[in-house]
Amino acid sequence: MIAFMNPKPGSALVIVGHGSTQNPDSSTPSFEHADAILRRRIFGEVHCVFWKEEPSFRHLPHLVDRSDVYVVPNFISEGYFTRTVIPRELELDGPLTHRHGRTLKYCEPVGNHPRMTDLLLRRAAEVAPGVPPSETSLLIVGHGTNLNDNSAAAAKREVEKIAALGLYAEVLNTYMEEAPLISEWDTLTTQPNVVVVPFFISDGLHSYQDIPVLLGIESEPTEAASQRSVFRNNPYHLRGRTLYYSSAIGTEPLFADVILDQVAAFDLAHTAHP
Amino acid sequence: MNRDLLASLQTWVQNGARLMGEVTFQPCPAGFSLTHYLDAQETDPGTLEFFDDPLQARKIATWDAQGQFRPMKTSPTLRRGWRLQVRDIEGLRTALEGFYPAMLGSFLSLTRQELTPVHLRETLGRQTGMYAITKKLTDAQAQEVVGCTCCWETGCRKTLLWQLTPETPFQSLSPSKFQTDARPPDARISGDTIPLLCIEACNLLVAKAREEIKRQPAP
Repeated sequence: MIAFMNPKPGSALVIVGHGSTQNPDSSTPSFEHADAILRRRIFGEVHCVFWKEEPSFRHLPHLVDRSDVYVVPNFISEGYFTRTVIPRELELDGPLTHRHGRTLKYCEPVGNHPRMTDLLLRRAAEVAPGVPPSETSLLIVGHGTNLNDNSAAAAKREVEKIAALGLYAEVLNTYMEEAPLISEWDTLTTQPNVVVVPFFISDGLHSYQDIPVLLGIESEPTEAASQRSVFRNNPYHLRGRTLYYSSAIGTEPLFADVILDQVAAFDLAHTAHP
Repeated sequence: MNRDLLASLQTWVQNGARLMGEVTFQPCPAGFSLTHYLDAQETDPGTLEFFDDPLQARKIATWDAQGQFRPMKTSPTLRRGWRLQVRDIEGLRTALEGFYPAMLGSFLSLTRQELTPVHLRETLGRQTGMYAITKKLTDAQAQEVVGCTCCWETGCRKTLLWQLTPETPFQSLSPSKFQTDARPPDARISGDTIPLLCIEACNLLVAKAREEIKRQPAP
């Protein structure tokens, strides 16, 4: 993790997010990370673009003044969006694209960053203070999709890394849309305490509204997190267990550093003299 | 590239621009004062909620007066009852970006002749995944979906720069939808308008096209 990055006043940073037409909290972390990075005055410009909100991916050429542009996907997985949708909509040729007088530098998605493991562990500890990991099942819940086999890969990788540390009694992957399903959390686990950390970018539609219903802590989707006075009432005593459900990993302010790290990693990999 | 949006905005304001969508901005000794255009004549300072951080514009624009989320920031549903004071042209830029994302830059691209509208068939033609089905949208369905979703009066205040195809315009929209100087009929704001430009169908429209196909599959 970098603590300092040389200023790049001649460059722009564009954070690419999914966004939502239904939930205003989906884009919030991307905007907050952008605001935090802008305050550090590293880049000449910092913008966000979204698939489902404005400004859209297609607005990028009209948003950015500078000709040197780092594009960082604020996505958890290297999957359908990072490999198909974003390159198509931004008209990227690969990691480095020269188009209409601009150089677009396509960085790795944030979810690929090695720091994810620490951040997931930190979330798990925060949501269940004082609960012994040795009596706890930790579930990392991802989206999962049939559109791209890689979608679940980041979550699987993180679970393997966390399990190898031997802190928790068990560590498992679960998904919304593919097996093992998060809705079956109680049959998948054996410990009295179950901590669920959403491996999602935001407390948006999926992690704040859909998964709580699948877990059984809500009977139907609630309003958005930003419209409620209380975020969660952990713990939940359900199905004979004590269940803790955290906020999405991507809301962690340290994600701003992860975004900067992905820029630095791009320079290291693709530029002779960054 | 030599793009300089801040300098361009400064020029537009110096040349008399005072309205953008539903937001009016007036130079004042402390910088610029922004309000909903219908609140521009409000003289009682206690009536309007006061903000002085330009980043608050994004938050003001998030919800309509009924508390509904506004995923399309150019829908004519910007809530009233606020006044935003910004210190300088940079603050004005940040605020207007918050109210109408990418619209200043789109106008700059238009003035620099760097704007190439993408017609609907091309946008739908490159969709994949759940939106691939929108390739099957018939011309009649396209006219209907665009007529409802993009309606200037009730749907979206952007000026439409694209057509169904290069040869096929939309018949289902009012003339305001194609005028870059269109403004609300009740806007008593002197000064020019910074236009809201639509270069290409947004994801909201593509999603509506998908809904229409699902509702009424093409023969």
